[in-house]
Amino acid sequence: MGLEIDRERIPGFDVEGKDADGMDKGILTLSVGPQHPGSGHFRLIVKVDGDIIVEALPDPGYVHRGEEKMCEYRNYIQNIPHLERPMIADSCGILYPYVLAVEEICNIPVPERAKYIRVIMAELNRCIFELYWLGIYGIFLGHSTMFMWPMADRELLIDLAEMASGARVTHAYFVPGGVRNDVPDAFPEKAKRHLLYFRNRLKEYKDIFYDNPLFQARTVGVGILRREDAINLGATGPVLRASGVEHDIRKVEPYDVYDELDFKVITMNEGDSFARAYVPWLEMYESVEIALQALERMPSGPVRTKLGPNPKGAVGEVFKRVEAARGELAYYLVSDGNPKPYRVKLSVPSFREIPVMAHLLKGAKLADMPSIYWSMNYWPVEADR
Amino acid sequence: MSQQGQGQASTDQLTVEKEIVDRVIARFGDKVKLAYVKPRRIRFNVSKDIILEFARYARDELGFDHPISVAGVDYPKNKLIDVVYHIGSCTNDKFRSSVLVFAVQLDRDDPVMPTLIPIYRGVEYHERETFEMLGVIFDGHPRLERLLLPEDWADIPPLRKDFHTKGREE
Amino acid sequence: MSTVSEFTFSNFVKSVLWLLFWILIIVSLIALPIIFIVLFYVPPPVINGVEINPYLLLTMLTNPQVGAPLIRPTLESLFFRIAVFPGFTFAALFATVLIFAERKTLAKMQLRVGPYHAGREAFWWANSLGGFLQLIADLLKLLGKEIIVPSGADKPIFWAAPAVLVIAAAGLIALIPVAPGWVIADIDVSLLAVFALLGFFPLTVLLASYASNSKYPFIGGLRALYQLISYEIPLILAVLPIVILASTLSLTGIVEAQYSYWFILLVPIGAFVFFVTALAELERIPFDLPEAESEIVAGWLTEYSGMAYGLIQLANYIKMYALSALFTTLFLGGWIGPEFLPSIEVFNVQVLSSGEVSSIFWFTIKTFGVALFMIIVRGTNPRVKIDVLLRVGWSKLIALSFINVFIAVALLYLGVVGVGH
Repeated sequence: MGLEIDRERIPGFDVEGKDADGMDKGILTLSVGPQHPGSGHFRLIVKVDGDIIVEALPDPGYVHRGEEKMCEYRNYIQNIPHLERPMIADSCGILYPYVLAVEEICNIPVPERAKYIRVIMAELNRCIFELYWLGIYGIFLGHSTMFMWPMADRELLIDLAEMASGARVTHAYFVPGGVRNDVPDAFPEKAKRHLLYFRNRLKEYKDIFYDNPLFQARTVGVGILRREDAINLGATGPVLRASGVEHDIRKVEPYDVYDELDFKVITMNEGDSFARAYVPWLEMYESVEIALQALERMPSGPVRTKLGPNPKGAVGEVFKRVEAARGELAYYLVSDGNPKPYRVKLSVPSFREIPVMAHLLKGAKLADMPSIYWSMNYWPVEADR
Repeated sequence: MSQQGQGQASTDQLTVEKEIVDRVIARFGDKVKLAYVKPRRIRFNVSKDIILEFARYARDELGFDHPISVAGVDYPKNKLIDVVYHIGSCTNDKFRSSVLVFAVQLDRDDPVMPTLIPIYRGVEYHERETFEMLGVIFDGHPRLERLLLPEDWADIPPLRKDFHTKGREE
Repeated sequence: MSTVSEFTFSNFVKSVLWLLFWILIIVSLIALPIIFIVLFYVPPPVINGVEINPYLLLTMLTNPQVGAPLIRPTLESLFFRIAVFPGFTFAALFATVLIFAERKTLAKMQLRVGPYHAGREAFWWANSLGGFLQLIADLLKLLGKEIIVPSGADKPIFWAAPAVLVIAAAGLIALIPVAPGWVIADIDVSLLAVFALLGFFPLTVLLASYASNSKYPFIGGLRALYQLISYEIPLILAVLPIVILASTLSLTGIVEAQYSYWFILLVPIGAFVFFVTALAELERIPFDLPEAESEIVAGWLTEYSGMAYGLIQLANYIKMYALSALFTTLFLGGWIGPEFLPSIEVFNVQVLSSGEVSSIFWFTIKTFGVALFMIIVRGTNPRVKIDVLLRVGWSKLIALSFINVFIAVALLYLGVVGVGH
């Protein structure tokens, strides 16, 4: 009866010599994911020395669907539903730049009312995503109540989105030339009620979660991303703003009616996991504010420009970006004059956070891995496209 | 697009774009080719010999400091592959609403270009994706290997135009 | 040739008849003779001067009054105490209720309903309990699951670890007095024995994790070792003032020393330290690092499945009961409380006196309250990190424990409490 660990069965576990990658002795290689409760459809190959991570190699690609190739076989309208599949928790956010790009390349005007509805839906989706994200963050920190509360409050906003679009998560609501259908008459009333309730509810999140000393012990000072690194590595969205960079596409390049609405860009200077968790919470207030303003100013009128059967794009290329819930989401669309796009490239925020994640995990403690990993706003399905 | 609610802003903005173009042309002369100037988008076609120099200039002098996207586009008719870098700016307040686009046009049969990781660390995974999706080889890239595709992928790079998904052959 | 597919009614009847035949043969030729042989050689037990023979048992069917005087002696027999009350059955039942209470309480805290359907429609009396049969369903599920042993595992240790954990947890409950005289092992040094038994857990956990031959259990086992060992010291130190004040190591003696006031009023810091360290000993949130699922899958439990996993969970909850009971015993005055419940009598023979019933009631209520407090802590806190855990354990909790000891000693010297007071 031997009490030895069977080294041949565990690749990478070698306490005597060097392992296959030439790492020093005592390095344990852990494959975190894809079948790991704390990874999602994603793998991190983590090499730990004791409790310190010496190297973290992200390995995405488990849910790659070839969205970009799929786009080349479908015309501009057919592309709408499948393009929102990578990010169903924020389906308006991922569709928004595509719709803007198609409108520009096919020269489709947008009615004023549709622009407001789009902004409202985009902000609702931002909140829906950030609540989902916050809930999973709770799971990652072992806080089950923090998982349940945002999930429950998210239902309120999903109800609103369902009322407007007819679908709970995959709305396929934005179309080139406006939105698919007008919102019901009762929508503004109900939306205001839900949003005001939700804003009151957010205060409790701070009391219960963010002010909890154990939550702060897990996140404050963990995975500090310096400003220069954040910029150079291409971080985006709340991650970038938590490192003190005031960069929000809604402000720097306003699309639709964002330039007419009054809101703040949230930044924090700490750059740690706590800041990355706190910025979305503050942003939810701003989102509610934007949605309420848009509801107030929404004019009446048509919501959709009638299109021909198969809109053709002009020859050329267009690059459109919006601020989705996770950050800057951009589409690069090349058209050769056919009804089908010649090339569609999605630049998604999750993909841009991969090098940031690898950078932050290096030298962190294994116990800090969940709080760093999930504070990246990383969504494996979106990154894989 | 006037319909985008940016009509007035864009005419004001074009001065900024012109300034970028002027500075780049003053620095590089006819070594770079201006493809287009649109509101908030300026595209240059840069040859791969001076791409590192160009990118360094764009980062250090113009303040275009973070990569947004790296896309490869296959043009079998011209026997070219474009590698298009979209670079944004956070630090330069004047240019932060603009996106600098620069493209390297590579020979389709031998697409090799230097990596831009020394200048923009964030392009590492974008370039890996371009490598596996279009077969562009980035010289000096530390981990030029499979990223999104299955490990046993043995076909031609899928985003080339002569690759067809099953059942979708023309 | 008969195969499974050729099903005819005659074959079915034939097989049933064959089955009945064999049952008859086995019962009449083997089982009955064995019973008679055993009865011939083994003398029937004598309780309270009455021989418990089959005749008496049959008589009790028609005239239950005959058995009434025998109930109290049965309750006092060692076998009953170990097996039923206050032994294993009581603890397991308590653990079951705890699991249910935990799931319901957490659900209420998290805007959920919790277990709701299982058992709701089954019985008319279960409607108000809503889902308590979920535990039975879970148990059946665990029983039905395959226990997968990793191929490189050290099998004897891998199999033994869950059993050892349950035995050690059950050993703890043998030492805890539930009511005056109601304790399985009333020894003079039962507090020391409790700590000796608690020392089993780190070792067993380490062995279980090491025997799994897998990476995540290994990390989890090391974490458990760190945590359990470093928190045992403040746990013992927190109890030291109790021993000073009560001047005894016997748990019964400690409870009896609290008749005038509970020790939580004298040494609240000790109670706090004990509660925190008990949470750590139980590996419960916020100290569930050895099982942190977002970091190391399920820690040292990763490779356990089926009923082996179920046994470990059972051991955990029995341990939770034991530590809650220990907290009650040490700080909350154990069974002490007003006597207000009537005595239990069967056919005018007193089975349990009024004092005993009240004591058991108070003990159960207090223990349940402590356990509920542990559940509430779980609902409101995330997991801590291992370095924070160790730092808190080695610096703050031990410092607090020493302050606590000084307070107790000061109380003793000032003559506020102590021997003969």
